[in-house]
Amino acid sequence: MTALELISLLTQSIFVLIFVLVVWGFVRRPSRTNVDIALFFGAIAIAIVETRVATTLRLPQVEIVSDIVAILIIAMPYLLLRLVDDFSDVPALVNRLAEAGLLLSAAAFLATEGTVPPPILLAVVLYFVALSAYCAVEFIRAARRSTGVTRRRLEAVAAGTLLLGAAILVAGLVPSLPPPLAGLPTGFTQALALASAIAYFVGFAPPQILRRAWQEPELRSFLRRAASLPRLPDTPTIVSALQDGAGSTLGARATIGLFDPETNTLRFQDPHGVLPAEVGEGAYLAWRVFETQHAEYFADAARAHPALASAYRTHRVRSLLIAPISAAEQRLGALEAYTDHEPVFSEDDLDLVRLLADQAAVVLESRALIDEAARVRAREEAARLKDDFISAAAHDLKTPLTTLVAQAQFLERRAQTEPSAPADLAGLRRIVREAKRLSSLVIELLDASRLEQGKLVGEREPVDLVELMRDVARRDTYQAHRISVSADAPVVGSYDPRRIGQVLENLVENAVKYSPDKSEVRVAITQRDGEAFIDVTDRGIGIPASDLPRIFERFHRGSNVDDRRFAGMGLGLFICKGIVEQHGGRIWVESRVGTGSTFHVVLPLEGAH
Amino acid sequence: MVDDDPSIVAVVSEILVAEGHEVVSAENGAEALAKVNGEALVLLDMRMPVLDGWGFARQFRASGKRAPIVVMTAAENARRWAEEIGADGYLAKPFDIDALIAAVERHTTRKH
Repeated sequence: MTALELISLLTQSIFVLIFVLVVWGFVRRPSRTNVDIALFFGAIAIAIVETRVATTLRLPQVEIVSDIVAILIIAMPYLLLRLVDDFSDVPALVNRLAEAGLLLSAAAFLATEGTVPPPILLAVVLYFVALSAYCAVEFIRAARRSTGVTRRRLEAVAAGTLLLGAAILVAGLVPSLPPPLAGLPTGFTQALALASAIAYFVGFAPPQILRRAWQEPELRSFLRRAASLPRLPDTPTIVSALQDGAGSTLGARATIGLFDPETNTLRFQDPHGVLPAEVGEGAYLAWRVFETQHAEYFADAARAHPALASAYRTHRVRSLLIAPISAAEQRLGALEAYTDHEPVFSEDDLDLVRLLADQAAVVLESRALIDEAARVRAREEAARLKDDFISAAAHDLKTPLTTLVAQAQFLERRAQTEPSAPADLAGLRRIVREAKRLSSLVIELLDASRLEQGKLVGEREPVDLVELMRDVARRDTYQAHRISVSADAPVVGSYDPRRIGQVLENLVENAVKYSPDKSEVRVAITQRDGEAFIDVTDRGIGIPASDLPRIFERFHRGSNVDDRRFAGMGLGLFICKGIVEQHGGRIWVESRVGTGSTFHVVLPLEGAH
Repeated sequence: MVDDDPSIVAVVSEILVAEGHEVVSAENGAEALAKVNGEALVLLDMRMPVLDGWGFARQFRASGKRAPIVVMTAAENARRWAEEIGADGYLAKPFDIDALIAAVERHTTRKH
């Protein structure tokens, strides 16, 4: 056997092997693309096997068999074009030309009984070469649109097609060449054919190891991105970053739906506008994949899910690749990739989508753990705050109790040892004062506790805020200050009179407490756009800017407040804020140290809940 | 005695005066340091404005004074706070007046 024969045998074996592998691929995953691939290599394989069998067994040439083989060979470029048509839109004109070329070549071959005159042969060869070149260009364009394994495979297929075209061209030109050169191209043709066979093998039946190697760079770049994702501020941001990452890795558009067990739906934030925000049980393919937990490829999205056909058309979605996102037993959601062209090697893309979905699951699970840790921290913080609250409350309650217990015991002892002594008025007054102080602290505490349970605000009724405020301002307690209430007309809304009264009282009390005697406290009540506005302004000590953000928090007292002079638990404004907010209103303060403060309250006039 | 609550200062003074003690009161640590003048015992509240119990105790000891200190506090960790400043005893508020009198007697008689 000569070297040329060896090359030829090798080339033929590779083509037959490819045929076997693609038929196996078709059996495993019957799709139009796989049929077309199998047909193409089937034509080549039959031609090769027939020739081999005939020459090996030295069978006489059966005309009908050799005619069929010849027609199969002539049909090869046309079959290749059919394959190209599966994933890119071949213009009708090209299709018609290819069909015409096929018919003419077959007719020419049959009419001339095997010995084709050189000009016709040249025409057939040019037809072959033109179609091969067209297909190669289309494969290259498809490769440009893809990534990873698909891209590499398409590049190999394009190379195989170009090499095959070149081999045919060289072989076809041989008879037209002048004699001294005629012997030369035979080896060249064989080499081109072998190279083409190898390229096709790599393209159509790449071994697993190659697929993995091709997948790696894409996966690696995705993983690099993914590593930092769980730390993003919230889950929607993470999902959108995952969508972008998966999309660019796949060379397609991707969207992720997260399972919401409460509504039993997948929640999508589809930036491409194809899927609705909620996908529930039903015809949705994403839901189907989510339920079966098996990744699926839908070559024709519109046919697979007719209800969304128009959306698919509008957004140029041709095929779908959908994989479930799940971690261990936990079903988290689904990753859906839209492609505007049918992917040629859908099984490889499906593999990649599956891998990306797994990565997405890892990222989402990490996020869930981070969230869980934050929840635990928040719970601990809440428990700590509660402890702080209890010990601060206990401390504040024990202070008046200390005087009460000691004073009462002291009076008791005196009554026993000196029964005739006059009543200790100062001691008794101290008991009354401390008992009142204790009682108001207890009420404050109870209010704060009811507020947290949402039970503080009770029945509402029409209340005139102006009248309510005037009642508060008339109290004897404020005699050392001038309290002016300015209002043009009654301002009536539906409120719990006792609690709103408590707010007004607290604000006036604070204004009085923190401003010098004889100074003026101004209250203005107005209404505008369905809201009541209450402003309480004092010329007191003011609130330092650093305290302003926390002034409405539990137990917060201004840092310039002397605890001893201004008794209280620091719950007053916390309770006011709660009451106002439960009425659907808002409260805030403007203040300047040394100048005074203005507390603003806005309450809705109607229909607040 | 040092306490920022005027009612407590008033009633404790009254009780101790009735027991035959002399009482000098201050409403915070700084005022107390200024008034200190060879007293036999310091009754000390811990949470006070200006200078708290910890600050007072440190400066009081630093100035070489040896008088015993009894902590009076409404906080739950009265005992730990007393240990922290090396106090000689503590009274958890609200306290029984017998406990108050006993503590004062114990720490003043030991000195005499």
